[in-house]
Amino acid sequence: MAGKSGRTIQAVPQNSVKKMLLSWEGALVLLFIALNIFNTIISPSYTLTNVLREMPKYLAEIFMLFPMAYILVLGDIDISVGSIVCLSATVACMASNAGLPMVLVFAVGLLVGVACGLVNGIILTRFTELPSMIVTLATQIIFRGIAEISLGSGGSVSLKNIDGFNAIGGKLGKVPYVFFFVMIAAVIFTVILAKCSFGRKLYAIGSNSTAAYYAGVNVQKCRLIVFTLMGLMAGFCAMFLTSALFGANTTTGQGFEMDVIAMAVFGGIATTGGKGNLIGGIISAFIIVLLRIALGQINLNSQLILVIIGALLIIAVLIPGVSSNLRARRKMKTTA
Amino acid sequence: MKKKVISIMLSAVMAAALLAGCGSSSSTTTTDTSSSETETAAEETASEETTEAAAEAASEAGEEAASDAVAASGDATGKTFAIVVKSAGNPYNEKEIEGFQAVIEAAGGTCVVKEPEAATADAQVSAIQSLISQGVDSISIAANDENALQSALQEAMDAGIQVSCFDSKVNASSRATFVNQAGTQEIGQTLMDAVYDITGGSGQWAILSATSQATNQNAWIDAMKSIAASDEKYADLELVEVAYGDDEPQKSTDQTQALLSNYPDLKVICAPTTVGIAAAAKVLQDQGSSVKLTGLGLPSEMAEYIGDDDAHSCPYMYLWNPIDLGQLAAYTSIALVNGDITGTAGDSFTAGDMGDYTVVEADDGGTEIILGAPFRFDSSNIDEWKDIY
Repeated sequence: MAGKSGRTIQAVPQNSVKKMLLSWEGALVLLFIALNIFNTIISPSYTLTNVLREMPKYLAEIFMLFPMAYILVLGDIDISVGSIVCLSATVACMASNAGLPMVLVFAVGLLVGVACGLVNGIILTRFTELPSMIVTLATQIIFRGIAEISLGSGGSVSLKNIDGFNAIGGKLGKVPYVFFFVMIAAVIFTVILAKCSFGRKLYAIGSNSTAAYYAGVNVQKCRLIVFTLMGLMAGFCAMFLTSALFGANTTTGQGFEMDVIAMAVFGGIATTGGKGNLIGGIISAFIIVLLRIALGQINLNSQLILVIIGALLIIAVLIPGVSSNLRARRKMKTTA
Repeated sequence: MKKKVISIMLSAVMAAALLAGCGSSSSTTTTDTSSSETETAAEETASEETTEAAAEAASEAGEEAASDAVAASGDATGKTFAIVVKSAGNPYNEKEIEGFQAVIEAAGGTCVVKEPEAATADAQVSAIQSLISQGVDSISIAANDENALQSALQEAMDAGIQVSCFDSKVNASSRATFVNQAGTQEIGQTLMDAVYDITGGSGQWAILSATSQATNQNAWIDAMKSIAASDEKYADLELVEVAYGDDEPQKSTDQTQALLSNYPDLKVICAPTTVGIAAAAKVLQDQGSSVKLTGLGLPSEMAEYIGDDDAHSCPYMYLWNPIDLGQLAAYTSIALVNGDITGTAGDSFTAGDMGDYTVVEADDGGTEIILGAPFRFDSSNIDEWKDIY
């Protein structure tokens, strides 16, 4: 079976992952600590209570970080997720307004997500020559288009009965439920990527999909599963987002794909595939979220916040390149 | 290697800190009453910024009015008043902020300005959540979605914050009251009459709106449609399409061009949005099109397009004064925070030299305060207004 033969490739990524743990994740942890100190200094409102209260909307986005990390490890990309969130939230709100019980509404929301992910996956695995960027760009437009058509001329739908979604948006003490769900998802996705043969297959495909194929990895099956998972998690994101917005409109989820990709890339997951791990992704997600919250609390111009995050991202992408350059130069010096 | 990485990251953090430091004093007025440094810095920037005639007029009015307001409705000293607009970089929003700020600062209060990164409801939710964390006394918001902010605004009200909205409302259970720039019916009637007048009473016309879910846009469009349907006088007018330019200049331009090519017999475009009307005016005038334009626009942006001859695309248009709207929103916030009004119908208060206002029932079951009828800008008065705002 493909599962067994997949194990033979483990040596290839293992090495780079170990190196990553030594440098990038370590730096991220330090940065995380430094950021919290920095935040406490700049904003008197930066308290645990306030941060937890402001966080649910951002946490909903983090659901999508996990499968996005898988997709990036594969060397693919999915920019349709914001639109999947929009469509899933729209359909779920309509289902709720049609009087369906909350359990079914939740299921419908997730199913729409899965269906969208499956569509992406099927197109990409049937026509393997198509780049995922272009396919998901097309489905991004299509999914949001379908959502806009369903929303009609008003462009928005709001829940008639908010009890169900209000329950999801509840808190245990000060901690919103969504935090626990994100943590559970984080553990599952991290373990699968780091410890299970499925995760190793993803690294193998991302490093060299032809080699992985000849080693017996069912490349297209893995891609199909990962893209479908992406849809499922977009569904989760949509459900928790709806619990904060009590409705959906044509701009719901706009720009989420870029937020999520930014979190992953900042966490050291390379868009070229085969590199990075979820621990880095998760730490960096919280770094970005906490930075946004603190800069928001001091009423910094929102565009300037985007500029700062963009600048950090460039630095994050540059460092691996610069460091390998330095390493190469040092090698040349020692040999000369 | 490790050291290098860490040192680079640390310098990045420091760079971010620097940026954050400059930004907080220049982009918003005052952030923290406890820090006198920030306050003086903010005052300086505020006075630097207020160089234009418009700002002068506004702050003069604000100052005079504020002394009245202090006498009439107590002091705003030590209180923090937040204004949340639809998005950053919108000149109309900036004028509202200007009016709001002038009144709050003249009354001795602290003003916090939130311009969300995008014109979406979830960007506004983040802004509201951040304001709750800061413990402001009041929030005045121009909503991007009528219902989506309910959860966040109710949380704000639970935290003891006075919530009101202006320009574009939130639903009745998310607000104390709504500062309405003009009655929906009044605007619908005014615009419908403008279309009737410019077309000569018959022919095709189209609407160029902002986003399809903008509350105020939809209310005005619905009002225009129902007025057109209710009176025989408008029977020969045919509304061919409602196009959405999303308040983006490029998209509004594209939509205008699409209207022109799809409907060769089109006589009038009515754009009840400042971004849309400016984009459409440019397209029509550049192409020398015979299609005429009316709607709601900023005089400063529309001055070169307003005129009665064929060389100008817009014979006349309407708008209320966004500075006045911002000021009334500020007076309303102050009155709410001081307990002079609670937002129930029948409450009345003095808005400085703007006069007395009364809270009235709104169509949606909540209450509202109406600023007044829209103001007409045409070739006779555009020159005196174009420098104001």
